[in-house]
Amino acid sequence: MLFPTVEFALFFLAVLLVAWSLHRWNSTHKLFLLAASYAFYGFWNWTYVPLLFGISLASGLVAQRIQASGSPRPRKLWLTLGVVICLATLGYYKYTTFFLTTILNLWAHVARPPKVRIPEPLLPLGVSFFVFHAISLMMDAYRGKLKQRVRLSDSLLYVAFFPQLIAGPILRASNFLPQLRAPRNPNAIRLNRALLLIVAGLFKKVVISNLLATRLVEQVFAAPQTFSRGDVLLAIYGYAAQIYCDFSGYTDIAIGCAMLLSYRFPRNFNAPYTAADPQDFWRRWHISLSSWLRDYLYIPLGGSRGSAARTCVNLMITMLLGGLWHGAAWTFVIWGALHGFYLIVHRLWSGIPWTPLVRFRQTTVWRWMARLLLFNAVCLGWVFFRSPSFAIAFTVLRRLAVPGAITLLSVPVAMAVIAGLAGQFQPLRWRKALEFELGSWPAMARGAAFATAIFTIELLGPSGVAPFIYFRF
Amino acid sequence: MRAKKYNSLSQLAAVMAGFAVTILLLESGALLTWADRLDVGPARSGAVRVTAALHKALQPLGVEQVRKESLGGLDRLGWTDDPARLLAAREKSRLSASGSNSPCTVAAHAPSPAVPKTAAPVVTGVPRLTALKPLPPAAPGEMRVVALVGDSMMAVGLSDVLLRQTATNKNLRIVKAFRSGTGLARPDVFDWMEEYPAMIGDEKPDAVIVAIGANDGQGFVEDGKTLTFGSDAWVKVYQQRTTDFLNLLTQNGAHVAWVGLPPMKAGAYNDRAAEINRIAYTVVSQNPLATWWNPQPYIGDEAGGFRELETSPDGKTTRIRAADGIHLSDEGAALLAPALIGWLNPGPPPITTAQVAPQETPAVQASRHHRGARGRSARP
Repeated sequence: MLFPTVEFALFFLAVLLVAWSLHRWNSTHKLFLLAASYAFYGFWNWTYVPLLFGISLASGLVAQRIQASGSPRPRKLWLTLGVVICLATLGYYKYTTFFLTTILNLWAHVARPPKVRIPEPLLPLGVSFFVFHAISLMMDAYRGKLKQRVRLSDSLLYVAFFPQLIAGPILRASNFLPQLRAPRNPNAIRLNRALLLIVAGLFKKVVISNLLATRLVEQVFAAPQTFSRGDVLLAIYGYAAQIYCDFSGYTDIAIGCAMLLSYRFPRNFNAPYTAADPQDFWRRWHISLSSWLRDYLYIPLGGSRGSAARTCVNLMITMLLGGLWHGAAWTFVIWGALHGFYLIVHRLWSGIPWTPLVRFRQTTVWRWMARLLLFNAVCLGWVFFRSPSFAIAFTVLRRLAVPGAITLLSVPVAMAVIAGLAGQFQPLRWRKALEFELGSWPAMARGAAFATAIFTIELLGPSGVAPFIYFRF
Repeated sequence: MRAKKYNSLSQLAAVMAGFAVTILLLESGALLTWADRLDVGPARSGAVRVTAALHKALQPLGVEQVRKESLGGLDRLGWTDDPARLLAAREKSRLSASGSNSPCTVAAHAPSPAVPKTAAPVVTGVPRLTALKPLPPAAPGEMRVVALVGDSMMAVGLSDVLLRQTATNKNLRIVKAFRSGTGLARPDVFDWMEEYPAMIGDEKPDAVIVAIGANDGQGFVEDGKTLTFGSDAWVKVYQQRTTDFLNLLTQNGAHVAWVGLPPMKAGAYNDRAAEINRIAYTVVSQNPLATWWNPQPYIGDEAGGFRELETSPDGKTTRIRAADGIHLSDEGAALLAPALIGWLNPGPPPITTAQVAPQETPAVQASRHHRGARGRSARP
């Protein structure tokens, strides 16, 4: 079930009530949350619940074996086995058709390819996310980051916990498992922050993202050759706002819901379009994924410990695979390659020791120039990310050279683009002031304000519910 | 003074209570609408009973009037994405501006009497090979208005490809009249009889391409009775709705190409789609201005079943269906586009039935398409 629906609201209210009723009995509380999480996942398709259970169980068992093994060799063997199982599962469901058709198409350039029956499995919802959770559990066990022995029940809940199950944020076992051990503290609920996150998330997703999708982005990317420069540029910037609001909106709701259950999820977005360099961008965009890739892929590859050339290779491999994680299509790989390129260029640029340049890079003028350059570079990547094919992507880019009137700009569209992009520059103190102000209100009044905000969002939102973009992963 | 970061369980309970009371006061009507729109079944029955009782109890307080007024205001500002509501709001503003005292009503569309309402018996099977009846040739320089109508079977893939492939055709003007998540089974969710005139506005399409029915494999409530999908009563009502809708599409002499549902990956869903196809074919066959067109030979396998991948004669393999096993990918839609665009562009020399009927194998047609898609635009 999708977050911005009455079904989820009723489900979550029921879970909140029962979970807190059971908070004194931590094991029962967690068992209930596990059952609720499987029910949440099964609402989409019950036949894939065993897969989720299987991955969770396998990773939990492997993590236990790793912890139980004294010497490095069996530990490494167990880790390898566990990672292979997880990646094989992900590869089968997500990449089989892609890789086989790619091989056959390459073969077709040389000779007639053989007739091969290509498996076409249905992509399980959130498979990319829960497989990464499973790998994190085993890696953290291997690296000794889990201070206590992994409990199977905790590992099951860690992988399947419903607020983050289908679109993140990607939790780290070393951060979340200790939370599961401790009973919930009924006097430590970060209520105001949770309510603000849920309201902000719903507004970003239901109002801004949906509006931009239906009134601007979908129209241009459906048939870009019918639009000219102004509309195309507006749609590209609009998509930048749409995907940010869609994805950060979802994770805000996830974090807020977890907070109401007294669990802490990591922040997943931190005003990414305010970044002035690609490295900073990836410290602000989908933070849980970028840090996962850094810790479990980039650093094991060698990170920046080797030569400059080796570092560039490691960066590119990490970003290519990061792109592929987003989708089984070459457009996503190119998107990843672009970001790999940006990171490499930034590394080389930052390393130029010429003093006037070093001074210039510290100026405010450069900072704003860099923000503008980076934002447009990121938007170039979004063109490939959004386009269903290279033909569409290149058509979109070609249309930037075609003059013509802007036909898709309206007051709602303009407001949505501005809110989605410029909203990231709002000072942190505003949010803290709002949280502080809310804290001084009586509890029932806060509930009434929360309801009024939800009511307003429902009025402003479109009819029907569009799925989150990141559901596809 | 430091902000109080943390709250207690009792405060959470109080917040939830305040939330529940306020949301019920403001949204009791909306909750009833939500319950009404659920899939027919025990959950819906229970939800409707509860929300109807709440709505009945809370309505006298008048708080939900806030919602109605707010929605009306947003409609007047053009904020809504519902075409019928937008049209009604514009009509209301126009009448207010002209000082008219006549009550504002959106004219309810009466179906054209083009086809008698007596329902023909539903066929037991649809033909595999179907031909699109050629359109009358367009006069030189005449602009042909084409409406693309339907649910997500039109919105996802097919409309994009048709829009792209007709982009350079100056003799065609495309009107978009599609909406995902809709159908003919649930007018309570989206009433095509009201929404279609609002979507096309002042346009009078000469031709309509329809792809609808993917969401219609469900039961519905008619005159207070729950009708299970596929029951005689259900078929009778759905057939009538399809007839009324087709009459609406053809009311100004528009020619309609009704694209059948393609084979679906999930077996049970495929069976339902087949039933929808049989009903649609029965209805469309009765209308002289409409043709039901079977996409199976283009995107199904040899047995007419689901096929996800297409291999062209030069060995290129592409995915023709989306990962959900329901919708068409762009490549899949591109297999259907040549026939549909050919139907829209009869231009000299006149297209004969043989040219639009799928005489060749799908592989040969796909090969023709692949060559065409690499650069040639459709000729007017």
